Amino acid sequence: MTYKFDWAIVTSGKYFDWIVSGFYVTIKLSAVSIALSFLLGLIIAIMRMSSFHPVRWFAHGYLEFFRNTPLLVQIFFWYFGSYKVLPAVANDWLARQDFEFAAAVIALTIYTSAFIAEDIRSGVRSIPKEQMEAARSSGFSYIRSMQYIILPQAVRLTIPPLINQFLNLMKNSSLAMTIGVAELMYQARQVESYTFKGFEAFSAATLVYVAISFTITGLMTLYDKTVLRPLKGR
Amino acid sequence: MARKIGLFVLALTMVGAMCGAALAADTLADVKKKGVLVAGVKDSLPPFGSVDPNTKEFVGYDIDFVKYIAKKLGVKVEYKPVSSANRMPMLMESRIDLIAATMTKNPERAKQIDFSYTYFLTGQKFLTKKGTVKSLKDLEGQKIATAKGSTSEQNVAKAVPSATVLSFDDYPQGVLALQQGKAIAVTTDESILAGQLGKLEKNPATKGQYEIPEFAISEEPYGIGMRKGDTNFVKFVNDTILEMEKNGEAAKIFEKWFGPNSDSPIARGNFKITADKRGTE
Amino acid sequence: MIGGLDFSAVRDNLSYFFIGRYPKGTLGGVGLTLYLAAVSLALSFIGGLVLGLLSVSRNRLLRWGSMTVIQTIRGMPLLMVIFWMFFLLPAMLGGGMTAAWTIIVALTLFTSAYMSEIVRAGITGIPKGQTEAAISTGLSHGQAMFYIILPQALRNMIPSFVNQFVSMIKDTSLAFIVGVTELTQIATQINNRTMLFPTEIFLFIAVIYFIICFAFTELSRWLERRLAYRKSI
Repeated sequence: MTYKFDWAIVTSGKYFDWIVSGFYVTIKLSAVSIALSFLLGLIIAIMRMSSFHPVRWFAHGYLEFFRNTPLLVQIFFWYFGSYKVLPAVANDWLARQDFEFAAAVIALTIYTSAFIAEDIRSGVRSIPKEQMEAARSSGFSYIRSMQYIILPQAVRLTIPPLINQFLNLMKNSSLAMTIGVAELMYQARQVESYTFKGFEAFSAATLVYVAISFTITGLMTLYDKTVLRPLKGR
Repeated sequence: MARKIGLFVLALTMVGAMCGAALAADTLADVKKKGVLVAGVKDSLPPFGSVDPNTKEFVGYDIDFVKYIAKKLGVKVEYKPVSSANRMPMLMESRIDLIAATMTKNPERAKQIDFSYTYFLTGQKFLTKKGTVKSLKDLEGQKIATAKGSTSEQNVAKAVPSATVLSFDDYPQGVLALQQGKAIAVTTDESILAGQLGKLEKNPATKGQYEIPEFAISEEPYGIGMRKGDTNFVKFVNDTILEMEKNGEAAKIFEKWFGPNSDSPIARGNFKITADKRGTE
Repeated sequence: MIGGLDFSAVRDNLSYFFIGRYPKGTLGGVGLTLYLAAVSLALSFIGGLVLGLLSVSRNRLLRWGSMTVIQTIRGMPLLMVIFWMFFLLPAMLGGGMTAAWTIIVALTLFTSAYMSEIVRAGITGIPKGQTEAAISTGLSHGQAMFYIILPQALRNMIPSFVNQFVSMIKDTSLAFIVGVTELTQIATQINNRTMLFPTEIFLFIAVIYFIICFAFTELSRWLERRLAYRKSI
């Protein structure tokens, strides 16, 4: 049995359309989750640095728990298991939505936000303490000092690790196929099971993933050269 | 960058070119020599194949057929759990010697692998909450759950084009989605649905709330899958299952898993294992 | 009952969760998860070292080639690497490789690419003066790397390696997709059989994963503190 290559199946026609639609879903899923995980990560990071103990402990527990459990298990938990812990109203509403997509977004957001919060915190800690003291002594409240003085600097420093997390999120979004979200990996596998042409299907999907990664990595290098180096070289 | 990607594709193609000729093996001789028959089966799909919680042994309709074949060969059996999506690649890659995992025979698959005669015959139906679905029309525009890489998935996409098909790794996850209201129906072969319905019936929390409406969208003949061109082995398996029909063993196994006293009663009707060509032409 | 949850399905299958069908069949569950992670990590250490050394090689072709491999793998989801291995390995080696070993190869390939970056950062983090000093005492470039630079670099990398191990344990859960009976697969099996307790089952395995991973995370932090202390002397 010799393998016959047939690249035509993934470069045009029905199966090509499947791959393209998978690409759109991957992008949509990643974009929504990136926006939400950044917001949530920021909130958790601020809670983690709060001077109020219970808030700090909650954030710490959240970080440790979600970073140290596999994303796949979290996806299964939200998709199959959350109906027991959510009120009936929420369940009914969710069942009427695109629940597969929503569960994937929830899992990706929570998982990634834990990593992002940690990155933001390291960024903030790299800003000298004197800056906070100076801000507080010139009459800013803690929240305001964070908002105007510390966070803008920290965010600039944390952009490279953040972009890295976003890339990870994009790659991790492939796990959504396990709950039936028709993203790129799912479609590649569909093409394979319909045509038995795995080599072509996986090549196409791999190219797309690698192209996205290379593009973002390239932009990051550019940012590093143009924005960050001058900053560090002050 | 473009050059890098070009090189990468080139490298991949070279690897692909190495995907050369896997020789058609003589499984019958190999299995006898090894003393072990490696069977790809379902591990959580009663009544066909599942792991018994108490004994941790594989049990089911498919399993009993494999056991009989192995006994006749005089070898031990090693079971490998397979999913609908990975069973064919696993067979072609010689990770397993045969597939006995609720596998429907169809012409596309028959191009890639060889099938035994039909050892089980069923049709694709739907499992739904009682009274929600009377005919195919009720399914239009709804979400229907099934398993990835199965014929069920392809059939339902054809039969109800307006529906959204949710594909899971296996059917029980689809049933879970149905229970939680995320899908209006689970679709696959009646025999598998009967097993799932049996499980729902046994449970006081879900008893009497589900049904399998009468209408069907296809005929599904199951075959045991073997490697293409493995003629000796195919002949041996075919002779064995014909013999099982003759000596009443096949009927006994059916009775055990689908008879009136089982968890998932269905009628065998006038089905008998014969030298048929169902589903392969 | 805890807060309206019913953990009976977890209790009844406890040994199944931890060791799978062992001793009747192969090891499964938590045992297999740890086995997969440990073997893959040991192999990735070697792979990462080789790739890392190649990527700081003075030969441009070697450096360039290894960087391409590393960046390509880093640009792919692990799931993709797993599918590739399942697709390519049998074609290249013929059959006979178990699913568990295929997963080990995929995890090793994937993690080696990430490890190589740690190795590279470790090597470039050692001051240039050290190499120059070593060469001036008459060592060759290779000798300077193996006797002077690597030992110091490796010591600084230990915490990062332990962190990789944590990622590796989490990554083994993907073996579920190809039917390897590690912890996540066992959970899905039991969930498919019992149908009514997905919340309890997935919560339970999340906690098990957490306990294992957290223990190693703490170990890595402790190592980091010790290293910092040694450096300050």
